[in-house]
Amino acid sequence: MIVAGCDIGSLTAKAVIMENDKILSHAVIRAKTRPSESADEVMEMVLASAGLTMDDIACVMGTGYGREQISFVDHVKSEISCHAKAAWHVLPSVRMIIDIGGQDAKATRLDDNGNVARYIYNDKCASGTGRFLEIMADALEVPLPEMGAMGERSTEKLQISNQCVIFAETEVVSLVNEGKETADIVSALHKAMAKRVASLAKSIEVKEDVVMTGGVAKNSGVFKALSEALNVEIKSIKGIDPQIMGAMGAALYAQEEALESNGELKKTG
Amino acid sequence: MDEFYDAATRLNCQAIRDWQATERPIVGYTCSYTPGEIFHSVDILPVRLKGIETEGMEIGDTYYGPFICSFPKCLLQLAGKEKFMFLDGAIITPGCDGMRRLDECWRKAAEDYKGILPDFFYYFDVPHKSENHGMAWYIEELRILIKKIENHFNVKVTDDNLADAIKVYNQGRRMLQEIESLRYRDDVVVSGTDIFAATVAGTVMQREAYNQALRRWLEELKNRTTSLSAGKKRLMLIGSISDEIELFRMLEENNDAIVVGENLCFGIRHEGNEIDEHGDPVEALGRHYLQSSVCPRMYGKYKERLALLKQKLDAARVDGVVMQNIRFCDLHGAENSLFERDLEAMGMPCLKLEREYGPMIDVGRMKLRINAFLERLRV
Repeated sequence: MIVAGCDIGSLTAKAVIMENDKILSHAVIRAKTRPSESADEVMEMVLASAGLTMDDIACVMGTGYGREQISFVDHVKSEISCHAKAAWHVLPSVRMIIDIGGQDAKATRLDDNGNVARYIYNDKCASGTGRFLEIMADALEVPLPEMGAMGERSTEKLQISNQCVIFAETEVVSLVNEGKETADIVSALHKAMAKRVASLAKSIEVKEDVVMTGGVAKNSGVFKALSEALNVEIKSIKGIDPQIMGAMGAALYAQEEALESNGELKKTG
Repeated sequence: MDEFYDAATRLNCQAIRDWQATERPIVGYTCSYTPGEIFHSVDILPVRLKGIETEGMEIGDTYYGPFICSFPKCLLQLAGKEKFMFLDGAIITPGCDGMRRLDECWRKAAEDYKGILPDFFYYFDVPHKSENHGMAWYIEELRILIKKIENHFNVKVTDDNLADAIKVYNQGRRMLQEIESLRYRDDVVVSGTDIFAATVAGTVMQREAYNQALRRWLEELKNRTTSLSAGKKRLMLIGSISDEIELFRMLEENNDAIVVGENLCFGIRHEGNEIDEHGDPVEALGRHYLQSSVCPRMYGKYKERLALLKQKLDAARVDGVVMQNIRFCDLHGAENSLFERDLEAMGMPCLKLEREYGPMIDVGRMKLRINAFLERLRV
């Protein structure tokens, strides 16, 4: 049985096609102005990559900010549930998921059965999100994918005190004007961001194992800084792009829906 | 229901236009500690001020600054935009510090926006404790308020007409309690959105007319048989001041949930309690308005508030509690955290939502959190 999950976020759109718990294809694209266009494009990509058409897909689950605008989904689910589903699927010992996406950061705690017990979002502020890193990368003229490695080359400990994106940018400009090394500034940004997200996670009590999902999880500097800020070893997800975890969780829910409609399975949540 | 929705969702509603046509005064008030009965007893229409229909915040921001609850700022914005020109008077109450400051901010704004201050503009103080000297203080404040009204509007508040007003209000309160009890059934036949609209309408409509409308609606509700609650999660909405019907609609719109209770000062929590019809009517008003309040502005009452909330949750068999607080609302922000701690420990799932007051701004972000909460409840 082939199923799909489609996660339309604020900055990127992701899609995953799965068959019997295995990923057949996945794709990540930059989100367009209209969520429906992003969804159509990313879905076409994963279908082409897997050599399939929509007729081959038994069920499609949508998630993310734009989920209500996806024309081809059968059901929708919140990204909190989808990230939790995927994380539990790849690592059943997981009890906390920290998902940092384009415009929000979320911490979700699971119970011993993989159900969502508590969760918390950042509120109406881009600090501590992927957008924060993008703006800082622009300010420093550093390609976003290189920020992680660059921060790890830091030799001087700097402080970015202000958590507001706009004011943090002025702090970065001040540090540049003082002649500070870009690597040191990047490292300070990672630590500032990690502290903000850690305070969010700590407010609902950190439980191990902790995994990180979402696009920012690919930034090794933030990953390490967050481990330090939480004082836990965040587990790496092996072999799966953390950015597609929401779409993968959606695909896993789609699989349950398809099996249930065939009378083969009772839904778990 | 149309008249309830009209009164609850429009500033220039039919109920106010009808009253204006009689050329009798209208007095606005800002907080549930102001007894409407006093005004009703002398043919003045008391109207609780709502922040609905606010567009922009430039006046509110100018006099209040940015770091304060957006509800009183909306009231000031509307005053500055001449949306409250139907008022002959306004009563400002220290429900919280933000609301207390409306007194000085409105006066200051009136220096720049001429004519926006009603002729009768009165600061009505309310103590934070309801025992002994606090109660004596509040009753004294009520008597001073009565004197001020008598002098300004050239009327006489007698014990008899005040007692009559209490009886009229009690009729409505009893009906609201009956409507509330319909929510305790397995099959709930009325939406939380409709009930809240009907309750908010009571803070605007002339009381006899409101009672008549409520009576007709209650009879209709009693004959309903179609369940609106089957297969849905039963929610309670609590927290900061809200007159937003849309907030309830958002919780109920996707047919996954029904609101079977609220603990809001615009809701039945306050409007449904009866007042003693015997003895000194001013003292009866004092006991009711100060003692039966479950607002977190009152000191030393957390355990009582938690017990009352728990009682309502049990009666309505609530599956989950949505706790909203307007940004910078310290009273409900702190109270919600305590409620969350204690209710989650009792096994009651809670969702805390921090938000801005306003004509349903930030809907997408709120829906995401609510949907995730409903998914949690479905497990």
